[in-house]
Amino acid sequence: MTDAVVTTTGLTKRYGRRTALSDCTLDIPAGHVVGLVGPNGAGKSTLLQLTCGLLTPTAGAIEVLGETPHTGSPRIGFVAQDTPVYGHLTVADHLRFGAHLNPGWDKALAEERIAELGLDPAQRAGKLSGGQRAQLALTLAIAKRPELLLLDEPVAALDPLARREFLQGLMAYAAEHGTSVVMSSHLVADLERVCDYLIVLVGSRVRVHGDVEELLGTHHRLTGPRRDPGTLGAGRHVVQASHTDVQSTLVVRSTAPVDDPSWASDRLDLEDLVLAYMTAEAGADGRDRVLEKR
Amino acid sequence: MIWLTWRQFRVQAWAAAAFAVVVAAALAATGPHLFDLYRSSGLADCTADCRDLADSFMLQADKGLTNVLYAVGTIGLFALPAVVGVFWGAPLVARELETGTHRLVWNQTVSRRRWILTKLIGVGLATVVTAAVLSAVVTWWAAPFDVANDGRLAPALFTGRGVVPIGYAALGFAAGVLIGMLLRRAVTAMAVTLLAVALIQLAVPFLIREHLVTPVTASVAFDPRQIQSMGISSDNSITVRMAAPVQGAWELSNVTVRPDGEQYRGPVDPARCGREAGPRTCNEYLGTLNLRQEVTYIPADRFWALQWREFGLLVVVAGLLSAFSLWWVQRKVA
Repeated sequence: MTDAVVTTTGLTKRYGRRTALSDCTLDIPAGHVVGLVGPNGAGKSTLLQLTCGLLTPTAGAIEVLGETPHTGSPRIGFVAQDTPVYGHLTVADHLRFGAHLNPGWDKALAEERIAELGLDPAQRAGKLSGGQRAQLALTLAIAKRPELLLLDEPVAALDPLARREFLQGLMAYAAEHGTSVVMSSHLVADLERVCDYLIVLVGSRVRVHGDVEELLGTHHRLTGPRRDPGTLGAGRHVVQASHTDVQSTLVVRSTAPVDDPSWASDRLDLEDLVLAYMTAEAGADGRDRVLEKR
Repeated sequence: MIWLTWRQFRVQAWAAAAFAVVVAAALAATGPHLFDLYRSSGLADCTADCRDLADSFMLQADKGLTNVLYAVGTIGLFALPAVVGVFWGAPLVARELETGTHRLVWNQTVSRRRWILTKLIGVGLATVVTAAVLSAVVTWWAAPFDVANDGRLAPALFTGRGVVPIGYAALGFAAGVLIGMLLRRAVTAMAVTLLAVALIQLAVPFLIREHLVTPVTASVAFDPRQIQSMGISSDNSITVRMAAPVQGAWELSNVTVRPDGEQYRGPVDPARCGREAGPRTCNEYLGTLNLRQEVTYIPADRFWALQWREFGLLVVVAGLLSAFSLWWVQRKVA
């Protein structure tokens, strides 16, 4: 599929003097489960809220499903950070207002999911566990049958078991209905299992984005005698470089295989790849940074 | 959206309805007896010099349950705008912003415009109906007391009678919604709303109301028998306070003036208005000075004109605040 679900050009959002997202130009193709990864405060929530129309851009343009995003659209489902629900309303109340407020509401799907999850419809949403609340919020978002589903850190507050159940449920739904999904997380491990497209956002900028297979195929870790990373040649972009006295380790993006025999070349896994981009950014101010790694 | 608004508001709606029904039932039950007393005391048919009849009516009526009901009705109507603003208005949007549920509901297939309009109209209508019912029964029931208390144009009563309570309640609600939306914290917004409603209820009667209708200015010959009180200082200056020359009016000013039009402040003849002389000689003395009493007042028959104008003003301001809320939620809130 080549249709883009989200197209942004020079998208920028500032809150007063703080820039939350700067000059973001992206094309997110349809039919993917897209992982939006980056450290806390990188601008993930801002990008997602711009995508669902909760925020309006300071500069640049964004088009979602071929139109300027606005809240109240039947075509976009959004699960906000911390999965807000009405604490004093019951699970059944949530499904009822979902049915009242969405013309495309899939009652059977919603009820089936609630039953599968073992949620008591008479339970007040405020009494649900974090995982159950996230599942309820996801149910509301998917039962409106959106073409694009956006999830902002949906599993951040969940324990590992609830996390896995939530992601499995999400995957099953996306695979069955072919819905495009964009999901943010600050943990690569969460996304690794479910995403086939990745956007790395660090310090309000998009560092890299692309198909996961393609990203893994074009990134290499090179180890060899110490030398200047500038001598690698054209078509090769050094993402991250670290040096000891005698040895250099480079993470390189290159479409062609690196065949220089003086380098030992390794593949990277997704987590190493993301960390390389994050560390490169952190290294820019000359300090090591402890990155979250599970 | 109507269903969700109702589901979120139904507990408060039932509470308000229960309160209104209890008050209305209590007033309806005690009303006939009250009106019997009103007629049998002769106050109902009195046209002039009714002070004694009013006193005898008050002596019979103003006690026990009736006394309690009068207090509940009056205080209830005074407090209603604040209660509505604080408990219905302020949290209406603020609580959603605080808990993040606006992000949930705005991502259903409902525009922000429809969301806020449904809330404003739905809860606003409940506010108006509650205020209208309470004010109607209290205004009807308390009418004999208002007559006995020399009219209901006095600032303390006017705010709690007729149609203005509806206007104050609507304004309190609209102010609460907007304050909540701007502050985004329910508890802070509730405190600020309480303050705002109190300020409105003080500012309108004391600063604005008197400009809404044209007052009447009357100049009557000084009649020493109408002296209510006077005070004489050691430098022989005097302040004379006269009884109101008209019944049931709202007196804006009441001054005793000299023949040249300046306010009369003395000095008095110490031999006739001094320590030794009695009040009678002083009164007679004042009667010889050709003084006049100048009164500016809003007469009792302007009660409804003033009611409707004040109501109109309050409703217009409430409407403007709501329109601003509508604009703000679509443009500035995320």
